[in-house]
Amino acid sequence: MNRFSRLTFACSVISFGVLSGAVAQENRLQVVATFSIIGDLARQVGGERIELKTLVGPNGDAHVYEPKPADAIALARADVVLVNGLLFEGFLSRLVEASGTAAPIVELTQGIDILEDPAGGHYHFVNGEAVFHAAPNDPHAWQSVVNAKLYVENIAEAFCAADAGGCADYQANAAVYFDELTALDEEVRQAIAAIPEDKRVVVVAHHAFRYFEDAYGITFLSPQGVSTESEASAADVAGLVREVRERRASAVFAENISDARLVEQIAAEAGLTLGGTLFSDALSGPEGPASTYVDLIRANVATITSAVTAD
Amino acid sequence: MKRLALGTSALALMACFSGLAMADEHVTAWRLFVSDHAEPVVHVIDAVEGETLATFDIKGPASLYRSDSGEAVYAVQGDADVVTAIKTGIAFHDHGDHADIDVEDPALTGAEIMGDYPVHFVEHDGHWATFFDKEGVARIFSERDALAGHAETREVDSGAPHHGVVVSYGNYDLVSEPHPEDPSNLPIGIKTLGRDGNQVGDLAECPDLHGEAASGNVLAFACATGLLVVTSGSGGAPSIEHLAYADTLPEGKSTTLIGGRGLQYFLGNYGADAVVLIDPSEENAFRRVELPTRRVHFAVDPVRARFAYVFTEDGRLHQLDVIGGEITKSLALTEPYSMDGHWSDPRPRIAVAGEHVVVTDPLAGKLHLVDAVTFEEDGEIDVEGTPFNIVAVGGTGTAHGHAEREEHDHGHEGDAHDHAHSHDHDDQIYQGYFEDDQVKERGLSDWAGDWQSVYPYLQDGTLDPVMAHKAEHGDKSADEYRAYYEIGYRTDAGRIAIDGDTVTFYEQGEPIEARYASDGYEILTYEKGNRGVRFIFEKTGGDEAAPRYIQFSDHKIAPEAADHYHLYWGDDRAALLEELTNWPTYYPSSLSAEEIVAEMMAH
Repeated sequence: MNRFSRLTFACSVISFGVLSGAVAQENRLQVVATFSIIGDLARQVGGERIELKTLVGPNGDAHVYEPKPADAIALARADVVLVNGLLFEGFLSRLVEASGTAAPIVELTQGIDILEDPAGGHYHFVNGEAVFHAAPNDPHAWQSVVNAKLYVENIAEAFCAADAGGCADYQANAAVYFDELTALDEEVRQAIAAIPEDKRVVVVAHHAFRYFEDAYGITFLSPQGVSTESEASAADVAGLVREVRERRASAVFAENISDARLVEQIAAEAGLTLGGTLFSDALSGPEGPASTYVDLIRANVATITSAVTAD
Repeated sequence: MKRLALGTSALALMACFSGLAMADEHVTAWRLFVSDHAEPVVHVIDAVEGETLATFDIKGPASLYRSDSGEAVYAVQGDADVVTAIKTGIAFHDHGDHADIDVEDPALTGAEIMGDYPVHFVEHDGHWATFFDKEGVARIFSERDALAGHAETREVDSGAPHHGVVVSYGNYDLVSEPHPEDPSNLPIGIKTLGRDGNQVGDLAECPDLHGEAASGNVLAFACATGLLVVTSGSGGAPSIEHLAYADTLPEGKSTTLIGGRGLQYFLGNYGADAVVLIDPSEENAFRRVELPTRRVHFAVDPVRARFAYVFTEDGRLHQLDVIGGEITKSLALTEPYSMDGHWSDPRPRIAVAGEHVVVTDPLAGKLHLVDAVTFEEDGEIDVEGTPFNIVAVGGTGTAHGHAEREEHDHGHEGDAHDHAHSHDHDDQIYQGYFEDDQVKERGLSDWAGDWQSVYPYLQDGTLDPVMAHKAEHGDKSADEYRAYYEIGYRTDAGRIAIDGDTVTFYEQGEPIEARYASDGYEILTYEKGNRGVRFIFEKTGGDEAAPRYIQFSDHKIAPEAADHYHLYWGDDRAALLEELTNWPTYYPSSLSAEEIVAEMMAH
C-alpha cells in the first residue's frame, strides 16, 4: 500500500480534540499546514479560532525541506494537519510517522481535477543542481484559483469535523473568502485576455504552472529531461532555447523558491531578459508582494503581464 | 546473487498498489558490516538471516563508514594507511512513489585510497574526503568512482599535519585550520577554500574543533564554544554560522556529532554522562539529556526517525526519544564495559538494521539484536574474533518481476530479483573490477589469428576521431590523449601471427618465430584502483631474437577469444609486470582502419 492511501485512511479518522465554545488562547484548534500557501488559506478560514503552525515558510521549497524535531512536536500536538498531497511534500510520511500524531491528515487536493504529468515529474533547481521530483500527478493545483476554492472547502470541512463548535464561524469565513477568490479568478481571466495571443508563451525553470496554463491560457515552457544528477546539461538548455525561439516565447521568469542561475542562462542564450520573479510553491515574506495567496496570484499575473507586454 | 535474493527472504510479499504489478514484490534486505578490533577483516552478515555472506581481508583493523546512499561501506584503516571501498550490494533507485531495490553480492571494489594515517572521513553529496593526519592532506574521491573500482583523488592541503578534517562542499572545500603554535593541538577553525586552493572569506573560528556530522542539507562541526553550522549560501558557497552553547548548559563541549536521518537535528556528546540534542533552527537549540552512567556509543535510527540509541558503560542500551528529549526505554544487554582505560579499547558499537538495533559485544564475540519496537533482545549472532565497529545498510524496496530482464542476466532463472544490475558484470570486468576467483587460466588459442598493430594508424592520423571522442568524454584534450597513446601503442612489431603454440613477430616485415607455453597469470592493481590480468606465456623454443616471455592483456579474465589485445614482451617476467606505459595493441589484420576506429569508438 503506498503511503498516500494510508494517509487517506487517516483522513477518515475524526479527531477527538473537541473544544468548548469559548476559544481561549490555549483552547484554539491546533492546526499544522505543511507550507505557506496552505497556511494562508487555513488562516482565512480559521481566523482567530486556530493556532497555526506552518512548516515550510516563505520562499521555501517543500520538495527539499528537511523536517525538524520541532515540526514533529507540532504534529504530535495538532488537531488537524493540512497537506497538499499528490507527493508534493516529500517529507510528509516520515514526519507523520516520527510524530506519532493521531490528528487527521487532510489532503486538500481531494476532489480537484488533477492534471497528470506526462513526464512523470518535474525538476527543482537547488543551488544549481537539478533535482527530479517524481510526481505522476502534478501537485501544484493551487496555481488555478478555481482549485484554491476547493482547497478552501476542504479546509472548512476539516475544521468543522475537528471543532464542531466553531463550524459556523469556519463556514462563514470560508464563504466570504470563497467570493473573494471568485472575483480573483475573474480578474485573472480578464488580465490574461488583455495579453495579445502571440505573447502568451513564457519560460520558467521549475514547471509549477500547468494548472495556471490549463485554467488561463498562458503556455509555460521549461527544461525537460535534464540530468537528475547534475546541473542542466548544455544540450538540454540548448533544446529549450531552440523551443523558446521557435515558439517565440515572450519572457523568462525566475521563481521565488530557487536561485535564478539556470533561467538567467536560458534568458541570455535566448536573447531575452529576465521578466521578473514568479511565486510558485511558496508565499513571499510578510514584506514581499505575495504574502497572501490572493496577493501571490495578483503578483504573478502582474509580473507576467508587464514582462510580455514590454517592448 | 540468486542465493542472496532468496536468502534475504523475510520478504513481505505484499501485493503492490501499482496497476502494472505483474510480479512486483517488496523485498527487504539489510546487511551488517562488522570490523574486528585487532584483525584486518570486515565481515558481511545478512541481518535478516543471520548468516555471514562474506569476509573481506583488508590491511588493518578498521573503522567503518556507510555512505548516504548505502551502496558503499568504507574501511578506514588508520594504522595501515589506507581506506578500502566495499560495494554493499544493496542499491535503491528512487521513483518518487516507490523505490526499486537491487540486491547483489557484496564485494571489494578494488578502490583503495592511500595516505599517512587516515582518520576523519566525511561524505558530502557523494564525495568523500579522507583526512590523513600525518600529512595534513585530504584526498577526495567520488563514491561513483569508488564503486567502479577506480577512485581518482583530488588533494587538498590544510597547511600542516594535524588531527584535521576536510569536507568537499560543491565547488569549495571546508578545511580545518591547524593550531598555529602547535599543530598537535586540535584545530582552531574552518576555512573555506576555492578550487584554486585560495581561501574565500574569513576563518570561521572553532576552538578545539573535533567532530562533524551532516543532517540532510546542514553540516555541523563541534567546537569548544559551540557548533559551526554550515548551510548552502548564494551561488552554492557554504555559509557558516557559529551557534554558541546555551547558557543553560553546564560547562562542557561536544566532541562527537551525529546527524539525524529523516528528521534534521544533531546529537552530540556533552560531558561523559550526557548527550545533547541540537536543532539549529530553533531558538532553544540545545536539549541536554542526562545518562545514568558514562556513554560508550550512540547512533540515530534512520528508520524510526523519532529515536536514537545510546549505549552506556553499565552494559545497557537506551532508547532516546529525540522529540520528547528523554530516555524512554532501557535494556541490559552486555557485561559492563568500563570507560576507564584507553579510549580505543574494544567496547560496544550500535547500528540500526531495519527492525533491529544491533550492538556489538566485542569481548563476548557476538552481536545482540534488539527489536526496535518492543525494545527486547531478539537474538544473537556469533562473530569470530572481537567484533567492534558496525554499520548497516538496507531497506525495503520494490523488485520488479517484469520485462527488465536482459540478455546479460546470467541465467538466474526464477530469481525474484530481475531488476538486477548484474548486467554490468562484463563491463565491470572490462573496467578492471572483478573477484580473484573469477579469473581462470587461458590457452594461447584465445589469441590465435593474424593481428595488426594500431600504432601506424595513430601516427598517420586515422585515429584522430577516436582521440577527439575520448576528449569529449574524458579529462584530457585530444592532443593529450594522442600523446598518451603515442607512448602506449608504440612498437616496431607491426604484425603478429599466432597459430597453435607458435607466435611470429614481424618487425619491418622480418619474421621472428618461437613456440610458447602457458606460464599462468598475474593480477595487477593499477594506480587508479582498478585491476587487470596478464596471461603469461614462456618461450619453449625457436628464434634466439624472440622474447622469453609474452604477456597478454585484453580486458578478459577467463577463456574467451580476444577481439583485440595489448601485448608485453621481454626476457624478464617480473620487470614486464611493472611495464604500464607501453602496451602495443593489436586488432585482427582482417579489420580495415575504419572498422578499427569504429571498434575503438564503441569503447
